[in-house]
Amino acid sequence: MSGAPVVAAEHLSKWYGQVIGLNDVTLTVPPGITGLLGPNGAGKSTFMKLMTGQLKPSKGGITVLGQPIWDNPKAYFHIGFCPEQDKFYERMTGREWVTALVGLNGVTETAAREMASRALETVGLSDVGDKKIAAYSKGMRQRVKLAQALAHDPELLILDEPLSGMDPLVRRKTIRLIKDWARAGKSIIVSSHILHEIESMTSNILLINQGRILAEGNVHQIRDLIDEHPHMVFIRADRTRELARQFLADDDVLSLKFEDGGLAIQTGRPDKFYARLTELAASGEWGAIHEVTSPDDNLQAVFQYLVKS
Amino acid sequence: MPIHDQGYRRYEGSKARGRAWFVIFSTSVRSMMGSRRWIVLMIASWIQFIVRAVQFYIAANFSQASVVAPTAATFRDFFDKQDLFVFLVTISLGAAAIAEDRRANALQIYLSKPLTRLEYIFGKLSVLMAFLLFITWVPAMLLLVVEIAFTGSFSFLTSNLHLIPAITLFALIEVLMVSMCILALSSLSTNSRFVGILFTALIFFSDALYGVMRAVTGGTSVSWIAFGNNLAQVGDAIFRVPLRYETPWFVSLAVVLALIGVSAVILERRIRGVEIVA
Amino acid sequence: METPRVIPSALRVFEFSLGQMLWSRRSVFLALLVGAPIAMALGIRIIAAAHGLPVINGAGLTGPTLFGILMWLLFVRFIVPVLGVFYGTSLIADEVDDKTITYLFTRPVPRSAVLLGKYFSYLACVVLLVLPSVIVVYFLIVPIGGSIGQSFPQLAADLGMLVVGLASYGAVFSWVGARLKRPLIVGLVFAFGWESTVLLIPGYLKRLSVAYYLQALVPHAMPQDSSISSLLSAFQELPAVWVSLVCLTGITVVGLWLAGRTVEKREYVLEQ
Repeated sequence: MSGAPVVAAEHLSKWYGQVIGLNDVTLTVPPGITGLLGPNGAGKSTFMKLMTGQLKPSKGGITVLGQPIWDNPKAYFHIGFCPEQDKFYERMTGREWVTALVGLNGVTETAAREMASRALETVGLSDVGDKKIAAYSKGMRQRVKLAQALAHDPELLILDEPLSGMDPLVRRKTIRLIKDWARAGKSIIVSSHILHEIESMTSNILLINQGRILAEGNVHQIRDLIDEHPHMVFIRADRTRELARQFLADDDVLSLKFEDGGLAIQTGRPDKFYARLTELAASGEWGAIHEVTSPDDNLQAVFQYLVKS
Repeated sequence: MPIHDQGYRRYEGSKARGRAWFVIFSTSVRSMMGSRRWIVLMIASWIQFIVRAVQFYIAANFSQASVVAPTAATFRDFFDKQDLFVFLVTISLGAAAIAEDRRANALQIYLSKPLTRLEYIFGKLSVLMAFLLFITWVPAMLLLVVEIAFTGSFSFLTSNLHLIPAITLFALIEVLMVSMCILALSSLSTNSRFVGILFTALIFFSDALYGVMRAVTGGTSVSWIAFGNNLAQVGDAIFRVPLRYETPWFVSLAVVLALIGVSAVILERRIRGVEIVA
Repeated sequence: METPRVIPSALRVFEFSLGQMLWSRRSVFLALLVGAPIAMALGIRIIAAAHGLPVINGAGLTGPTLFGILMWLLFVRFIVPVLGVFYGTSLIADEVDDKTITYLFTRPVPRSAVLLGKYFSYLACVVLLVLPSVIVVYFLIVPIGGSIGQSFPQLAADLGMLVVGLASYGAVFSWVGARLKRPLIVGLVFAFGWESTVLLIPGYLKRLSVAYYLQALVPHAMPQDSSISSLLSAFQELPAVWVSLVCLTGITVVGLWLAGRTVEKREYVLEQ
């Protein structure tokens, strides 16, 4: 998806007294789905709050959809925010709550009710919309929060830990929904500390730790850029040991290990390694090769490496 | 076996019983003593002690100042003047005592531990009572000591021996009543501000109602309507000073005990691990 | 999309908040608070019917006098300031404590409109409950040795005074609630400490209180129920009614403006 960035931060910093929450962050978030990742205390919430205008930058600036967000209520016509905290007006029903919040956008009561009903249907809460939120399960509470975020059809959805508390089925449905919204043209920024959830939604990520951005962009590109970190490849083949002898001769192979019925190889030059592997496989002399995977080429590995370094 | 299992092992040592309340007590005390505002309030609560100590010093060392010499009524008056700080400490500490636990759903966690409801309530009560006694009983008793120290004789004490039990008994009754009331109110809500207002209403509104009834009846026999008045009346009886209202002291005592009883019933009903939502 | 305007946004927030405020648990407290004077008035009416009202210092107590005493002791000195403290300090603070403020601050509604809307719903709520209570008390008490028709202008003045008092205290404590992290203690000390103490101090200091202006609008003599009341009567210097109205309106407007500005500029960091 190409287009103007949905969020642009320029030397953005935020501190709470003596504690720095976000440290000189400059980045742009492109349209589409972007995952905001980091361990607890990394600065994700601070960045989310700065993006949603709940906090004012201590230094630098941030624009959302091209506009400054602090003290700019007009911007919220185009933004839907699903906060992390599990807090509601418990005495209201889900429908009443979503309707009332949408009503604050200035729509008529009838329109607000229709929009609320549509949003509740989207998140699968139509049949319990008239129950009090206090009686909702954790997953339902999370979904009603999503409903209020998307009811007014915003261009940008900012979701803080949206899958928290959901069971696996609902989680899958929600991930599918998020992808559908992106396909429909919305931009979505999702924060989480659960890597495989983000990985299942997008490959475009922002990695944050200790108030600094560690990496931004496509997770595979980031992986490729981490030159110093050896690349792991796992191979399952008919004649694993003989294959291993072939690779031992190559000087770019840093280590070999037999595990899980296969061969785990660490290489410093993945391009050369894959070319050699293709040659060996094509020759047919070492039996069939059943599986070639890179356990490294995922978010977990990238994240662990970057956070530890 | 020589190599021990490094995984989880059940604790098989001895366990102390019946001391869980002390964990609540000590944690709360430590938490409060870490707050600068709280320390300031505690120090401010002792200002009257300092003023009285100066008063006793002057009375003991300057014969012209014998008019400010302490009497039993001085100690009664000490408690009256401490009411403001008792009110502030009670609201600051007591309003959130159970309300915040209810707000955070912490009651479930507390009561899922080997902690009975009684221990939980006693833990909360002990914190309140400790701080309230610190600003009432402790300075009052110290004033007795100060009086002896400045005059260099036990004559005041020997001629007012009833002061020691009076100070102790009244301090206990006052502290128990306000602590139980605020804890009961705190257990009714998840909002500590609301609890603070309820407590304020209990005191000031009942006082306003008494004011109206006094205007209507022309007398003070209806003083029992105001909760603060009951405590004052009981205090006057304990210190053997002239009663300030026409209400018999045992009626005031009955109201005080009824308040404590009702608070206990409320606490018993509200401190539960599970809350049913319709 | 044009920038949302404060008043229309505030009205939307008012609609959002009114239902919550009216049907919340705290309104039960409010109902008890305003129900107690009615119960008391009923009791007095029954006693008066059976035994008549007492004669105090040679003067018989009449319904209008008693109504004045009730207005002073219950409404002016307690109910109005307590409601101001109770609701005013909670307007934003409750939303912050409940962590629901996020939903309001991430809507296309100016923050000051959130505060204003909640203030309007507070005013509507307390006026809807307090004024009928006063009217019922009036009809119960005044007929005892008095005339409803003759005292009616006083009732109208009382009702106006209560609305102005609730508005002013509410505005002042809205600002206290928006500004401070723990506004209740400060609110109570102001309402029950400063407001009564400052009236005893001769000079201009008393003009820094709401009570100084409000008492000028009370159409009844101050009761002499305690030494403090006697002192207050001795030192009482009342401003003119129009001065009080102007000043109380000013206090209300300034209080709300300060509260709105505070809410606009302040960052609310929710405890995790």
